[in-house]
Amino acid sequence: MTEALLVRKACDGDGVAVRALYDRYAPRVFAVVRRIAGDDELAQDYAQEAWIRAIRALPTFRGDARFSTWLHRIAVNSALQALRKAETRRKREAPMPETVAVAPRMGDSLLSQRLESAMDRLPEGMRSVLILHDVEGYTHEEIGELLGVTSGTSKSQLFKARAKMREMLRSLSEAGDSSEQDGAEVWGT
Amino acid sequence: MGHLTLETLARLVDEQPTPDERGHLGSCLHCTAELAAMRHQTESLGDLPDLRPPQGDWDVLEARLLSEGFIQKKGWFPLRSLTATPGWIQAAAALVLFLGGMGLGASVVRDAGADEPTLSSLSDLTPVSDLRPDNLTEAEQVVRMAERQYMNALVRYREMRSVSGRDFAGADPAGRFAALDALVATTQAAVREAPADPFLNGILISTLAERQAALQRVSGNAEWY
Repeated sequence: MTEALLVRKACDGDGVAVRALYDRYAPRVFAVVRRIAGDDELAQDYAQEAWIRAIRALPTFRGDARFSTWLHRIAVNSALQALRKAETRRKREAPMPETVAVAPRMGDSLLSQRLESAMDRLPEGMRSVLILHDVEGYTHEEIGELLGVTSGTSKSQLFKARAKMREMLRSLSEAGDSSEQDGAEVWGT
Repeated sequence: MGHLTLETLARLVDEQPTPDERGHLGSCLHCTAELAAMRHQTESLGDLPDLRPPQGDWDVLEARLLSEGFIQKKGWFPLRSLTATPGWIQAAAALVLFLGGMGLGASVVRDAGADEPTLSSLSDLTPVSDLRPDNLTEAEQVVRMAERQYMNALVRYREMRSVSGRDFAGADPAGRFAALDALVATTQAAVREAPADPFLNGILISTLAERQAALQRVSGNAEWY
């Protein structure tokens, strides 16, 4: 079944079509929302909200952009709004621990785990910019529009975020563990 | 010139260095290595994989989509456009979930020694109390069958009350509305705690429909549903 047909059926309330769209795009939606949320529990709530918004807005989808792009934008907007509402800034900007605990997840490389964990520790504003630019490929102009800041602020936040990430990843590397000794993925220089 | 700061190196991932910065990088192995690591970090972020949602995510989402009327599930009564659906259908479809066919079952004495019918051989005339589903799919079929049977019974009941002019004539409309309003608040709280629970969703939808009908009576609208 083509995507356009799936979207049309989903728009008509066809649960099977909605499920098919979910199966196709849930990992993409969850990934961006999870990274913006910086927290597993929040991420599930935000992802659910993003899907509800998307399904509600389906009648407005005219196919000018790809469905995946349209859905992705809704997910990002939804997560950013939810984050602002949740007022989690205080929690996110808590002092960084000496070492970052990395919960192992099946299928994740050590590098991915460390990147995800380090991103979770970034202050909210920096994290959002870093995710949108370096992970999702948004331009500074697009980020400025989404976050309500200038593109200059977006750039400045990005450079700060990258620097903080580098510090965190280096400290992780220096703390070292046996897997690093094997030389698989070493961040220290 | 001292080492370049991390923020400067972060900028140099995207932008050209100034002449001074270029000169420093040409002679400082430390900063050159740091810049390479910063580039690697940035590229790796772009290569991060998608993430699987937690197990059960779809079930929760589906329950929300159903309860908010965005999708219909095969075999369920249409939940989309609830306002356009006759109230008695809303009530009948939901009430059966918590009554569970008990009213019908009570009138049927099951013969324990008889062969149990198979689901595939059944019609809507088969009493649901005779059925013993072996798995979830069959159990769902029995619930849907009970829905249809209960709805048929309720439709007939409504018709007869309406014809006889006794449609809740003895009830205090205002008191009934207040009681239903309290029940809605309680069931809404319960659904928030367990949004995927069909039993609780059934009670909520039913209660909402009944409250709407009660409101119409209180406001002087004689038309039921």
